[in-house]
Amino acid sequence: MISQVFILSSQGDHLIYKDFRGEAGKDSINMFYEMVTSLSGAQPPVVMRNKNLNFIHVRHSGLYWVVSTKDNPSPFTIIEFLNRLAALTKDYCGSLSEKSVRMNFALIYELLDEMVDYGYIQTTSTDILKNFIQTEAVTSKPFSLFDLSNVGLFGAETQQSKVAPSAAASRPIVASHGEQGGKNEIFVDVVERLSVVIGSNGVLMKADVEGEIRVKCYLPTCSEMRIGLNEEFSIGKSQLRGYGAAVRVDECSFHQAVKLDEFDTYRILKVCPSQGEQTLMQYQLSDELPCAPPFRLFPTVEKDYGSRYSNDMWLIFIGRIVAINVSVTVPVPKGSLSLSQELSSPEQSAELQPRSKAVLWTIPRFPGGAQLSAVFKVEVPRLSSASLLEVGPISMSFELPKYTCTGLQVRFLRLSPTQPGLSQRWVRYVTHSDSYTIRI
Amino acid sequence: ETNKLYCTSVKCCIFELKAELNSDKKEKKKEAVKKVIASMTVGKDVSALFPDVVNCMQTDNLELKKLVYLYLMNYAKSQPDMAIMAVNTFVKDCEDPNPLIRALAVRTMGCIRVDKITEYLCEPLRKCLKDEDPYVRKTAAVCVAKLHDINAQLVEDQGFLDTLKDLISDSNPMVVANAVAALSEISESHPNCNLLDLNPQSINKLLTALNECTEWGQIFILDCLANYTPRDDRESQSICERVTPRLSHANSAVVLSAVKVLMKFMEMLPKDLDYYGTLLKKLAPPLVTLLSAEPELQYVALRNINLIVQKRPEILKHEMKVFFVKYNDPIYVKLEKLDIMIRLASQANIAQVLAELKEYATEVDVDFVRKAVRAIGRCAIKVEQSAERCVSTLLDLIQTKVNYVVQEAIVVIKDIFRKYPNKYESVIATLCENLDSLDEPEARAAMIWIVGEYAERIDNADELLESFLEGFHDESTQVTTQQNTQVLHKHTQNTPDSDNPDLRDRGYIYWRLLSTDPVAAKEVVLAEKPLISEETDLIEPTLLEELICHIGSLASVYHKPPNAFVEGSRGVQHKRLPARTASGESAESPDAGQSVGGVSDAPPAVIPSQGDLLGDLLNLDLAPPSASVPVVPASMQMGVDLLGGGLDSLIAVGLAGGTGGMPAGLGGTPAMGGGLGDLFDLGGGVGMATGSYVPPKAVWLPAMKAKGLEISGTFARRGGGIHMDLSLTNNAMSIMTDFAIQFNRNSFGLAPAGPLQVLTPLAQNQTIDVSLPLNTNGPIMKMEPLNNLQVAVKNNIDVFYFSCQYPISLLFVEDGKMDRQVFLATWKDIPSENETQYQIKDFHLNSDAASTKLQGSNVFTVAKRTVDAQDLLYQSIKLTNGIWALAELRIQSITPNYMTRLRTRASLSLSASLWVQFAMLYDCGFLEGLDHFVVFP
Repeated sequence: MISQVFILSSQGDHLIYKDFRGEAGKDSINMFYEMVTSLSGAQPPVVMRNKNLNFIHVRHSGLYWVVSTKDNPSPFTIIEFLNRLAALTKDYCGSLSEKSVRMNFALIYELLDEMVDYGYIQTTSTDILKNFIQTEAVTSKPFSLFDLSNVGLFGAETQQSKVAPSAAASRPIVASHGEQGGKNEIFVDVVERLSVVIGSNGVLMKADVEGEIRVKCYLPTCSEMRIGLNEEFSIGKSQLRGYGAAVRVDECSFHQAVKLDEFDTYRILKVCPSQGEQTLMQYQLSDELPCAPPFRLFPTVEKDYGSRYSNDMWLIFIGRIVAINVSVTVPVPKGSLSLSQELSSPEQSAELQPRSKAVLWTIPRFPGGAQLSAVFKVEVPRLSSASLLEVGPISMSFELPKYTCTGLQVRFLRLSPTQPGLSQRWVRYVTHSDSYTIRI
Repeated sequence: ETNKLYCTSVKCCIFELKAELNSDKKEKKKEAVKKVIASMTVGKDVSALFPDVVNCMQTDNLELKKLVYLYLMNYAKSQPDMAIMAVNTFVKDCEDPNPLIRALAVRTMGCIRVDKITEYLCEPLRKCLKDEDPYVRKTAAVCVAKLHDINAQLVEDQGFLDTLKDLISDSNPMVVANAVAALSEISESHPNCNLLDLNPQSINKLLTALNECTEWGQIFILDCLANYTPRDDRESQSICERVTPRLSHANSAVVLSAVKVLMKFMEMLPKDLDYYGTLLKKLAPPLVTLLSAEPELQYVALRNINLIVQKRPEILKHEMKVFFVKYNDPIYVKLEKLDIMIRLASQANIAQVLAELKEYATEVDVDFVRKAVRAIGRCAIKVEQSAERCVSTLLDLIQTKVNYVVQEAIVVIKDIFRKYPNKYESVIATLCENLDSLDEPEARAAMIWIVGEYAERIDNADELLESFLEGFHDESTQVTTQQNTQVLHKHTQNTPDSDNPDLRDRGYIYWRLLSTDPVAAKEVVLAEKPLISEETDLIEPTLLEELICHIGSLASVYHKPPNAFVEGSRGVQHKRLPARTASGESAESPDAGQSVGGVSDAPPAVIPSQGDLLGDLLNLDLAPPSASVPVVPASMQMGVDLLGGGLDSLIAVGLAGGTGGMPAGLGGTPAMGGGLGDLFDLGGGVGMATGSYVPPKAVWLPAMKAKGLEISGTFARRGGGIHMDLSLTNNAMSIMTDFAIQFNRNSFGLAPAGPLQVLTPLAQNQTIDVSLPLNTNGPIMKMEPLNNLQVAVKNNIDVFYFSCQYPISLLFVEDGKMDRQVFLATWKDIPSENETQYQIKDFHLNSDAASTKLQGSNVFTVAKRTVDAQDLLYQSIKLTNGIWALAELRIQSITPNYMTRLRTRASLSLSASLWVQFAMLYDCGFLEGLDHFVVFP
């Protein structure tokens, strides 16, 4: 059972403090903050214990979302709850930041009171909560693009700005009475995270995709939404549907509100979306990507002369789309002193980061089908052939907007009853790297 | 302007706020209360405003009312008298036509922990429990739990518990869920009365509600189901079938609660059942899915998977790849994944695993790299076929010359050498090249071990060791001990054909150095190298079982039972996996040892988790010996040969040479039976008061056999020393003088520490009591029975011989308390085929009494655990000759009969006779059950 819930700023300021069971003192907040700031890197921060109090926390938007408890509850329950609390706060306040939490503390207290009673979680569904919540959200105006809280898939994310109006998805779900009713919009995002390991011989060793369909709904009333996926979409190794390239995943799980009666035959998800953000479907695919991994990298490492070695990189992006925010991290031996580089275009950059023992090569925009090359010459005192062994696996991170690795597409998005003309529907796709590793 | 809410100055605020709170304008009041609450949040004391805030309570504005209630909950306790002012409004609000207000009132009242208020709460609560609106009912259900916490008696007297039970059949699943949650909590403080009354009917109701309630309600219900024990496998299967759909829920907490139910109920399913296999297959995907969550959940999931893999490795045996680390995993996730990878490593996937581990060894994070290198070594030890590849991988890593990689690699190579002796010594040359770079004690110790062990294959071994010796005084104990051992080792290996006087001298020097700490010396040289075992950090089976019952809870993250971190009554109940009670099949208790084995057929044993090198090698306590511990001058005099083989075989020669059969007439010997039997039997016996048990004096030498000299005596352990207490009586017609005593060689080397002090002549019919101090430095020879002592007493008349038996507890030394880690490790290291079973009946001491009693005789309780009304005492005993004995005693308060399992790794003959000794000790009523009795040199 939850004993206390509190939200702290990254500096440890008390933003929200709610005691549900009266079994722990208020000094627990400072106790927590001291513990969490004095952790060493290897200590798992998720669950901590001090005297008789256990702290479970997550971080969102730089804030600490903490539950303290005296007995033996499920940490899964509590982490899910805290994530949901953060999501609801975002839904209700429009954005998530120290400022928005400060401004809306009364609203958050009201939410907490309805979400938890005596440490038992009651509900986290906006549909139920909207019947109880009286306080209106206070938003800060004007809306700033640089507000860090907007970093996330929804809203003013740079690569998304062409797809959806910026800031559209980061306003409170419940329009305040003073304002014009917000636009009746619904956003459906298909987000995939790609993990790839390519062996030193260029062979694909492991490829996983984790994906989800997320919905953010601003429609005050919507009886049903139908999301049609590719008809050839199949689940499990054995099942194959239709001809041509299969859109296949290994595992699939759905939000409990999703009705699946038309899923088996027509691949239609039916759901009455609640206001706010929710994940309708999650899926995984391992090892059998329908397409080749998007990036190939051919590195060579050679000893130059003296204490210098040279690292030639040849990076190819296979695909017809544009990749953005591409970065390549190349480990360097301990004690590397300096880096000289040859890059193929001016907007790229490369930098030696001695603390993380790596060269970071960044490519802001990478058009499909292009090939880039780079030569890094690194100065290492007392360079030996053994120290070249330290040039370990290269990792990459990138974003591929308007692209899904599995090929999952939303064929249609229908609302019923048909909404009056004002409603807008947005479907967005993005694939980003989770862990993309190329071994040398 | 909202930042003004977080005003810094308190005093001016309070004054202003007071005015605003009493304003006529509703909006202004509301803003004022908000400000008050903001101040409250940041920790300012605004309790002075209590009356003003309570005045705002009577309002029809729900938002304002909620804010006021929020304030009340916080401050009512510090202002109980004023809180009474609010009672009327509460009672009125409980009658409000708006269900939101009714629920709000009853919820808030329950949170005001003031005794006076609770009296007023009963009536409104009774109404709200039967309210027409489910929202009010579900709030009232929780309120019963709140009230119970404040005043349990009141709740029982008012009959709220029955109303709560009725709510389990409510039409609204939210109400059911809250009623279940409230009852579960209340029943934790009443473990005996079956409040939840789980029976097939109520279980059916819960399973129906499970499909309808919110995700959070599902968790309450699943956790409640997990406490139920189905009657047979059929019921178990049907519950499993209805719970399985929860595995695909998007909320990981629901999934884990379902996994817990399934893991528990699976225990009851016969393994040959088709459904059992289906269930196993269904458990893997949801666990794998958890690993794609955010790092916090991943970490918690991995801790749970770690338990599941130990219990049922077959579930995830094909899922190795999901545990491969990603470069952007946080370090704590990486370390957990590595742990699970080693547990899942098998011949089938070893190549893949090794390739991964090798990559990890070049990562940036030092902790992770070290663990990866260690993991390679563990693979070699676990999967024999891979050993060669592991060794070559490790050699590659040593080539990198990265300091910590090299040191870690040497430490694991030493383990590999121990597991596969004389197989990979070709790599020693490479290792020796890296001597200079070793600066960590563990790595240095490992290297010294290798050099010493393979001295005859290393040309310049003596030079190498010498180089280590230069820094002798600066080294840590770990290295020093290792050096001593290995110098001796090498020395003994070389002695027969060594003509290097320098080396021999050096050996002598260190031998002398060692002999200033003779106990350590003896133990160092005697310490048999325990076989290196396959698995690390395995959780003890009974604990594992309990943790499996707590899957998805904090206990599963800490890997500790709840009673280790939850105070008070909550969580103290021990949970156990249900035994399989199939219809028409005899009940079979789940064999923990078997189920842990899993992938490898042999039950894996454990080596100490931390600093395993030192623990393995020496297995001893290097603490300064207490003054009472006997020394070993005898063996010193025997010369150099004893240093190695001599001492090593000392015990073996002395003790292991017997026939192994039961000594004839053992039980029939009066001294034996009586002496041992009474050891712990005499509840308030004389011996108990001062410590160790002293048997009553028995006549050892009757006068008629000794020309009028009668000797009776007993043995006692006092102040850390052994004493033989004798009464000499002269029944002869003449005075006796010139007494002297001698012992024959005996099993434990007992010998008089001084002459028999009979200073005055013994007159006719006179009796004299003499106490003869003994030591254990005498020559050793195995006796039958083991504790037999042959004594010769001489006086002016003649020499007389008699034999007597001493209680084995005489030899239990005071420093016999073993370190917990070492205990656990050693315990697991004993193969199960060496196990003997033993049953003891009719015992009436509780565990604490037994523990105290035994402590008096130097039987030390290392740890105590309580599982299912059974007390488990883990005890260690150390004999004067360095033999350790470990015991697990199961003491149950209900039935007086117990099964006892005895284990030993010592040679069978040794164990057989020792067993008889120990078993007799325990049998004669001094302990209820004796489980796992372990002896090893």
